[in-house]
Amino acid sequence: MNTITFTLNGKAETYDGPSGTRLLDVLRDNFKLLGVKCGCNEGECGACSVIIDGKLANSCMVAMGSVHGSTVVTIEGYAVTERYAVLDKAYADVSAVQCGYCIPGMVLASECVLARNPHPTEEEIRDGISGNLCRCTGYNAIVHAITSAAEEGKGLW
Amino acid sequence: MVNGYFPQSLKEALELRAMYDAVPYGGGTDLMINADPDANYLFLNKVPELKQIAEDSQYIRIGASCTFTELMDHPLTPAILKEAVSQIAAPAIRNFGTVGGNIGNGSAKADSALIFFVTDSVVHLMSSKGERLLPIKEFYVGRKQLALAPDELITELLIPKTALCSYYYKKVGARKAQAISRVCFAGLMDIADGKIIKCSTAFGAVSEVVLRLDDIDSMLAGKTIEEAKILKPAYLKAFEQAIVPITGRISAEYRKDVCMNLLKDFLDTSGI
Repeated sequence: MNTITFTLNGKAETYDGPSGTRLLDVLRDNFKLLGVKCGCNEGECGACSVIIDGKLANSCMVAMGSVHGSTVVTIEGYAVTERYAVLDKAYADVSAVQCGYCIPGMVLASECVLARNPHPTEEEIRDGISGNLCRCTGYNAIVHAITSAAEEGKGLW
Repeated sequence: MVNGYFPQSLKEALELRAMYDAVPYGGGTDLMINADPDANYLFLNKVPELKQIAEDSQYIRIGASCTFTELMDHPLTPAILKEAVSQIAAPAIRNFGTVGGNIGNGSAKADSALIFFVTDSVVHLMSSKGERLLPIKEFYVGRKQLALAPDELITELLIPKTALCSYYYKKVGARKAQAISRVCFAGLMDIADGKIIKCSTAFGAVSEVVLRLDDIDSMLAGKTIEEAKILKPAYLKAFEQAIVPITGRISAEYRKDVCMNLLKDFLDTSGI
């Protein structure tokens, strides 16, 4: 194959490097999307979370070859949506953010929780963000933020 | 020119597998931990024939490229398999990790492999020259060693539809999420008219391969509950002697204790 083609934050893009390169590295190094963080390198922390074809993904565990034909959304692409605005306000209202390193991934995980179920139970929220580690604020504030986003964003999800 | 192979169909995947020395890529969640950018992968994540979940008169048929999330969402997935895969890692891993990859990795800690062992499932292997069906117990030869020919691919896992009704499953890990099993255990107890039709158990993360000691389990086959209660001490003793756990991050003694506790709890909850 000559080129890997995929949609990135709504725009058609191409990549012609090694197909085994991690999506995380391509997003940061080639596309300068620095909201995608590298935490653990082994799929445990969720700091590198992106959304691929509507599903939450650890971009450190994704080879470029596997995204050929896929749609990838990073926090930079998501930040221009109405849904983001609701989550942004909800996170701010309850001070769910401290250092911020986990937050791009956490927000995308929140989006995936609400996209799957607009009225999630607390247990569903906690399961939905269980692969995204935060070492600052603890998870209660984040769970509150997602709960209040579900209420405030009626009809958006 | 981009390296790697991108089959659009199973036929093409098998042809590429025969022609090139490429690593089959399911979801990447195991492979990418030791990411080698120059590796030649055979990308199977979008091969439609490998994404099917179906049934025939004998089996529930799970395509090798089905992800754990797809299994959780599908009505044909047996409850025991749903329960096991829903406890794997976290959503992002479950969205991409596949059964083919979980089996193909050859680990005795693979949580889906445990379920294929306890249900005596069959691995469907195909190559461009033909196909074969292999009981999962024969597919695992040793630690990270599989009876997979260089030109073969795992295409399906076939779960027998018998004895899927009453099950027991417990995963013991260090945390609720993102935990590798320290011990995982599954048991099936098929009782009809007061008689045990079949009892089967499997222990994961204990040995080089998943332990499925069907010769011991068969002690209980055909027995009434009362007879099984009498046999219980001998049954437990046989397992006590047969389980010789590996030592890793946790001790063999701990693994052994957990195995025996889970086995006893399985019998207790089955009324034996």
